[in-house]
Amino acid sequence: MTELILQTVVNAVYAASYMSLIAVGLVLIFGVMGVINFAHGELYMAGAYTVVALYSQVGVPFFVTVVAGLIFVGLLGLLMEQSFFKPLRDNPLGGLIASIGFLLILQTSAVLGFGVRMAHIRPPTQAKFELIEGVVLTHQRLFVIIAAIVLLSLLHLFLRKTKFGWAMRACAQDREAAALQGISLSQISRIAMFIGAGLAGVAGALTAPLVSPTPYMGHSVIVTAFIIIIVGGIGQLEGAVVAAVLYAFVHTFVTTFYDGVVADITGLLLMLLVLVIKPTGLFGTKERA
Amino acid sequence: MLLELRDIHVHYNKVAALKGVSIQVPSDGIVTMIGANGAGKSTTLRAISGLTPVTSGEIWFDGERIDTLPADKVVARGIAHVPEGRRIFPDLTVEENLRTGAFLRTQRAEVEGDLEDVFGRFPRLKERRRQWAKTMSGGEQQMVAIGRALMSKPRLLLLDEPSMGLAPVIIQEIVRIIEAIVKQGVPVVLVEQNAELALNVASYAYVLETGTVSLAGAADDLHENEHVKRAYLGV
Ligand SMILES: Nc1ncnc2c1ncn2[C@@H]1O[C@H](COP(=O)(O)OP(=O)(O)OP(=O)(O)O)[C@@H](O)[C@H]1O
Ligand SMILES: [Mg+2]
Repeated sequence: MTELILQTVVNAVYAASYMSLIAVGLVLIFGVMGVINFAHGELYMAGAYTVVALYSQVGVPFFVTVVAGLIFVGLLGLLMEQSFFKPLRDNPLGGLIASIGFLLILQTSAVLGFGVRMAHIRPPTQAKFELIEGVVLTHQRLFVIIAAIVLLSLLHLFLRKTKFGWAMRACAQDREAAALQGISLSQISRIAMFIGAGLAGVAGALTAPLVSPTPYMGHSVIVTAFIIIIVGGIGQLEGAVVAAVLYAFVHTFVTTFYDGVVADITGLLLMLLVLVIKPTGLFGTKERA
Repeated sequence: MLLELRDIHVHYNKVAALKGVSIQVPSDGIVTMIGANGAGKSTTLRAISGLTPVTSGEIWFDGERIDTLPADKVVARGIAHVPEGRRIFPDLTVEENLRTGAFLRTQRAEVEGDLEDVFGRFPRLKERRRQWAKTMSGGEQQMVAIGRALMSKPRLLLLDEPSMGLAPVIIQEIVRIIEAIVKQGVPVVLVEQNAELALNVASYAYVLETGTVSLAGAADDLHENEHVKRAYLGV
């Protein structure tokens, strides 16, 4: 029993890691640009298919494809910003709808390029640590955990220690006042979009060998990400990380001890509970203007 | 003239807020704009700094037309705007707030020098530099807003109701700071509802009424004007 619980903890840490990468990117984009990126799950999918294309089909080393996934999906983010978020800046609903259109384009491209069936990827390594008797952590999962810790720490440093980091937070808090400091919302939005999309791309690339990508894998991820950002408090980056950990633990434990459907329902109940107790989310302070 | 507004019209959703405002600001001293709620004072400042587009008219700053520039380009020309309600960044520290004011500047050493200069003007901000701006008192937040504007090294400072919601002692402190800034060579456009205060510190004044300039003249003269006395000084 102890092993089972410990194993579930390990699994939850893994789940929390890639979910935070996805949720933080979504929150960053929403915070800076005020728009909900419905295509975020498909950016994650695009990261996974970068691995399918380069690693499985061409034989590029795995870690090179992960970096390629970050850059490629980051550039997709830039494309989204330039082609519709920017022209629709004063129309958040329009931006949301355009992102749904983009989601369909990405999905269709994946279907046309790779087919609708699951892509099985041979993991770059089968090695694992046996933490204690009966509790294992595969190297592949460890990579995801390390990547999440490293990338989120770097993001934190960027936001707290650099001029563009302050500017990004300033835009998220008061765009007009930020413009009065000479901060260009377009420039900051491009950076936010690249980072937010790139993080989803990395999550997709690193988890690809563990989840068997399909063109539709973005759906469940985006629903989870929305629950996480509502629990954490919309627009709160730290909130997204804490909520991702909370959600991952609850979801993984319920899945292990009951089943996946009950776990999904529990996740929604968790969101409702938070909304009833603290409507602004765990970390939210006030309604956004 | 350092700044000149020529026949500026501004509309919010087709409703006119400014109906031909012309204003001149020399390169030293304080010019004030007074007027009742909704007269168009804030709108005038927002038109200058590029936050609100003008429908017609021209704005000239130091020999260049700036009325088509977006706000982030106007700052680059040297106009700093402390907006109504201060609009500091609540979830940035005091120091981070001040540093965002220097966003466009590239000379690091100069920026560090100016940060020390701002801390010299506002010692209370230095003590609280690592505190979240939202935890500061109203007067301190006004100091953050003014300090942030100074960090851009402006050639002209626009202040929108710096006295709003502050206790009389704090207002006096803010006034002393504004006067010191002007003395060091940065001209100020001061928008105020507190007409007594405004006419005392300014050298020239404009009275705005429903989107037009109804009166203009030396601040001392307007202070003695019967209409101004009745309508704005409550005498
Ligand atoms: N964002 C806006 N949308 C629509 N109308 C606006 C907007 N901002 C201002 N107005 C209108 O424009 C007119 C001028 O407003 P403005 O804020 O410039 O006045 P003000 O002189 O600064 O007043 P106060 O002393 O209350 O700050 C008012 O009638 C106001 O209702
Ligand atoms: Mg006003």
